[in-house]
Amino acid sequence: MELSDSVLQHLREVVDLPDLSGTRYELESEIGRGGIGVVYAARDRDLDRRVALKVMDAGWAGEARLIARLEHPGIVPVHESGTLPDGRVFYAMKLVAGKRADRYLEDHPSLGERLRVVQRVGEALAYAHSCGVLHRDLKPQNVMVGAFGEVYVMDWGVDGVAGTPAFRAPEGGFDQRSDVFSLGALLQFVLPADAPRALCAISAKAMHADPAARYPDAGAMLADIWRFQEKLAVEAYPESIGERVRRFAKRNEVMLWLLAAYAAVRFFLFFIGTR
Amino acid sequence: MVDPDTAIGGAGDRFPSTQLSLLEAAAGALPNEALERVIALYWKPVYAFLRFKWRLDNEAAKDLTQGFFANALERDFFRRFDPAKAGFRTYLRMAVERFAANEYAAGRRQKRGGGVEFAEMEERSDGESPEDVYFREWRRQLFALAIDDLRAHCEASGRLTEWRVFEAYDLADESRPSYADLARRHEIAETSVTNYLAWARRTMRALLTDRLRGVTSGERELREEMRRVWS
Ligand SMILES: Nc1ncnc2c1ncn2[C@@H]1O[C@H](COP(=O)(O)OP(=O)(O)OP(=O)(O)O)[C@@H](O)[C@H]1O
Repeated sequence: MELSDSVLQHLREVVDLPDLSGTRYELESEIGRGGIGVVYAARDRDLDRRVALKVMDAGWAGEARLIARLEHPGIVPVHESGTLPDGRVFYAMKLVAGKRADRYLEDHPSLGERLRVVQRVGEALAYAHSCGVLHRDLKPQNVMVGAFGEVYVMDWGVDGVAGTPAFRAPEGGFDQRSDVFSLGALLQFVLPADAPRALCAISAKAMHADPAARYPDAGAMLADIWRFQEKLAVEAYPESIGERVRRFAKRNEVMLWLLAAYAAVRFFLFFIGTR
Repeated sequence: MVDPDTAIGGAGDRFPSTQLSLLEAAAGALPNEALERVIALYWKPVYAFLRFKWRLDNEAAKDLTQGFFANALERDFFRRFDPAKAGFRTYLRMAVERFAANEYAAGRRQKRGGGVEFAEMEERSDGESPEDVYFREWRRQLFALAIDDLRAHCEASGRLTEWRVFEAYDLADESRPSYADLARRHEIAETSVTNYLAWARRTMRALLTDRLRGVTSGERELREEMRRVWS
């Protein structure tokens, strides 16, 4: 059988289309392909709304059940799962309108906005860890930033096929600290070139080659980021005396100005008094 | 292959995986079958690869392809395959390159006749590399085999109308008939056309997956190859 390019192209399209007859969904368009499945935009006829449908080969049904267990504002809610006539499995989830974190950065968000994304991701991670679920493949491509600033972490618990080494802990195994490594790599990824040293130190500590030297969990790393934002000393960064004074000055700027003003007035009064 | 419709009961014509993975087959008593599966899928892409990479004419490329499959694919070939290092498709291509390089050296030693004339080519004028040609022809052959399997399956299970509808619509090279045309031609309802096409397509997808399973080392590599087929 000799196949022309055009017939081959047609076959590739139609053979892979999920057969949604017998479900409440109508296919709209393909959103993208990942390591273990294809995500489509679809319409839910019963509820008259759009959803995202992830279609995977059988054997991956566990992913839907895993995510459905996680209820958190930073984790995409799963509506339903099912099996297609060809044996593939699918699940329907909220259709997220937004950008992947790597593309989001192309709009040059402020440092505060960048940190907010990492914090939302870290909160979702800490929550999942408390439920005993690891992410295993955290990377910018798996984080979506919605049009209204919502942040969603996708692709939970799935050992990615074409794994992204830069975001993977070097020890190879998976536990909370390997997820912390990836969160550190995410922080490093979103930081601009001129980021404050304390923030670079936080990502470096999270990405330490020795898992025992990292933050013990996502919460500890978030606490350090919070300390930075409150202009407190950051656990990851031993600062010099000068830096300490400067940070102290910044944090207590108002009080220092008041003190200076008070001293100036006293000084002035002193001269008036002695005259 | 076992007739899937009788092999498993239940709704949905779901296919069981009757296909052993390449490594299971090579490790067991089935090296010949494994070899046949490899040759059925890889002959054409290897031929196309050799032809483009070394600018061989039709005859020389055929001889070299023949030589490769006759000599290089001994039992050891499968035993040395380490899926942790590369997928089977890449592993086989590298073996072809080594084989061709040896033949080239042998041809030079003989000075005249015998050996093949080589002129290496890295890229075609349209920017396609020999590796791209190899992949493209591999994918084409994979679909061609799955179509053959689908036809055989339809014939064996008496689903001739399903096959004809599929052939007339999905394999049409120029203009596709309308569903109404097909319904009239085969004296069936238009909804049956829809159903037959849906059945044929998902059956073909299952057969294609099975073909791939036979030439990959396990689920992980299978998934990666499925992804490549549709990328
Ligand atoms: N709920 C959703 N709403 C909108 N887009 C989504 C949704 N879920 C996934 N996507 C998009 O669909 C595409 C494919 O997603 P998928 O999760 O299958 O794989 P991936 O994250 O690209 O890769 P991998 O599976 O290897 O981690 C991605 O571009 C992703 O951003």
